[in-house]
Amino acid sequence: MMHGDPTHATSVVFGWSPLWVATSLFVATYLVIMSDRLNRAIVALLGAGLLILVGVLNQHEAMAAVDFNTLGLLLGMMLIVNITRRSGLFQYVAIWSAKKVDARPWGILLMMSIVTAVFSAFLDNVTTVLLTVPVTLLITDELKVKPYPYLFAQIFASNIGGTATLIGDPPNIMIGSAASLTFNDFAVGLTPIIVVIMVATMVPLYFVWGRHLHATDENRRHVMGFNERETITDPRLLKQSLTVIALVIVGFMLQRQIKIEPATIAIFGAALLLLLDNLGKDGETQSRNVHGALSEAEWITLMFFLGLFVLVYGIQKAGLIDMMADALLKATGGDFNITALAILWASAVLSAFIDNIPFVATMIPLIKAMGPTFGGDAALLPLWWALSLGACLGGNGTLIGASANLVVAGLAERAGTSFRFMEYLKVAFPLMLISIVLSHVYLYYRYL
Amino acid sequence: MSSPVIFNTAFPLLKDTETVADAIQRMLDDRVSDLPVVDASGKFIGMFRLDRLYATLLPKAALIGYGVGDLAFVSDTLGQLREKMREIEHLAVRDFVVKARGVVHPDTPPLEIVLLLHHGINAIPVVERDGGRLVGMVSARDLLNALHAEGNG
Repeated sequence: MMHGDPTHATSVVFGWSPLWVATSLFVATYLVIMSDRLNRAIVALLGAGLLILVGVLNQHEAMAAVDFNTLGLLLGMMLIVNITRRSGLFQYVAIWSAKKVDARPWGILLMMSIVTAVFSAFLDNVTTVLLTVPVTLLITDELKVKPYPYLFAQIFASNIGGTATLIGDPPNIMIGSAASLTFNDFAVGLTPIIVVIMVATMVPLYFVWGRHLHATDENRRHVMGFNERETITDPRLLKQSLTVIALVIVGFMLQRQIKIEPATIAIFGAALLLLLDNLGKDGETQSRNVHGALSEAEWITLMFFLGLFVLVYGIQKAGLIDMMADALLKATGGDFNITALAILWASAVLSAFIDNIPFVATMIPLIKAMGPTFGGDAALLPLWWALSLGACLGGNGTLIGASANLVVAGLAERAGTSFRFMEYLKVAFPLMLISIVLSHVYLYYRYL
Repeated sequence: MSSPVIFNTAFPLLKDTETVADAIQRMLDDRVSDLPVVDASGKFIGMFRLDRLYATLLPKAALIGYGVGDLAFVSDTLGQLREKMREIEHLAVRDFVVKARGVVHPDTPPLEIVLLLHHGINAIPVVERDGGRLVGMVSARDLLNALHAEGNG
């Protein structure tokens, strides 16, 4: 760690100060990403490229800055989900759960939220809502009830559920990789409070919308008439997918014992599932299958991460991160508890308005830089949980707080239900604050 | 001027003020699934397509980009679908008009027509360059007839 000394940077064009060049580029990139005028992958890659062109970093340093463990884990899970999706598993679970509550409107809202939260804990949040929202729209259509409360609840469930595990939300993947926290660490550290927050979120939703939801017996019979078995389009693929997912999760759980990092486990799982899916098929079919699975990975997200890692390393090398860490410590008086809670609240409020991925990418080296002050890396655990809870749950606060929110709003608009920024904010922001208050209490009593 | 031998000038069409029920009747009578729609002045305004009509029977969740991929698990009966159809039969054709996927003019060379038909567009409106008046339709059968016929067109 180069403690606040910009002279460590390599020579920058025109003799400019590396600190100012890197900071300006970083801030400019952030602003363009926030403006939403240009695709974020383009912006991050351009910013990273410019850092190298002007001489803040060389290519070797830029490559070394990329956390391939995060990228590999994301890519591996994307591939596994894309292949599994074809089996019809996710629709099956959604419809099965709706019928378990006799197609009662509030029961379905609860069940769809739980299903969304559980899926989100193991899959990317955007993928989860893309899989579950169409089923919700279909069910609300048949029940002739307003889809808005259901979709609202699903947004919350996906962001809350995603916070529960290492693989549920990209910020957690980054934090886990940077701080060497395992799947089990997340399960022990975050899952308990996430269960509490999930319950605490559903109670107000019942009073706001749940108790007013009504459907006729006739319309409920339509939903009860759904035959979920018909959704399983490929039983062989279903068995293969479930086996591989189970193996991958067991792999994550045994990460410490088998000493294999998550990216390897996820990519190996994806390769295994591709193998099972293609075994015995001719060359042309294999090419088509593999091409389909690979091209459906979210390359925009992956390339965005790639550029971001380089950008953040740029400001780190130039000394900005250390300066920010010093400033934060000064503001909190070097008090560990105040620092942890400040990270929680600031992350939550900021993540409600800005993309939590670049935010977390910036906060990670900042928190690491505080390690020496607080007695080593091991002491930082509560700060990592504060960052994760703040950044992931904060995303619920506004419609632009997380990508899943925008995806749900987009699907809803296309199906004729409008999601307005202020209308969402009025219920969502207070509800998000409740989850942060609960996180505050949890962190305080368990870790501080 | 090679197209006149290909296109059909006696063809079924719809006025934009006619109802969906009228359109269905015409489709059944004339055994077609796509009908051109004109306004009061005879100007072509778009197509009334059977696949667009069928979309109204589907739940919205199946129509959004990344929607429900199959509906085999939904047990709506033919009777329920008929009810949905009854609900829209009185609506004007105008509400269902879609942009034609391909439009040709009387002087369009035949190879362009072959290309459009090859792309699976089976009812191509022939529209005057000036004024946009509908003057004919070309179907795959019309082309086949023209190719089969002897002559020096």
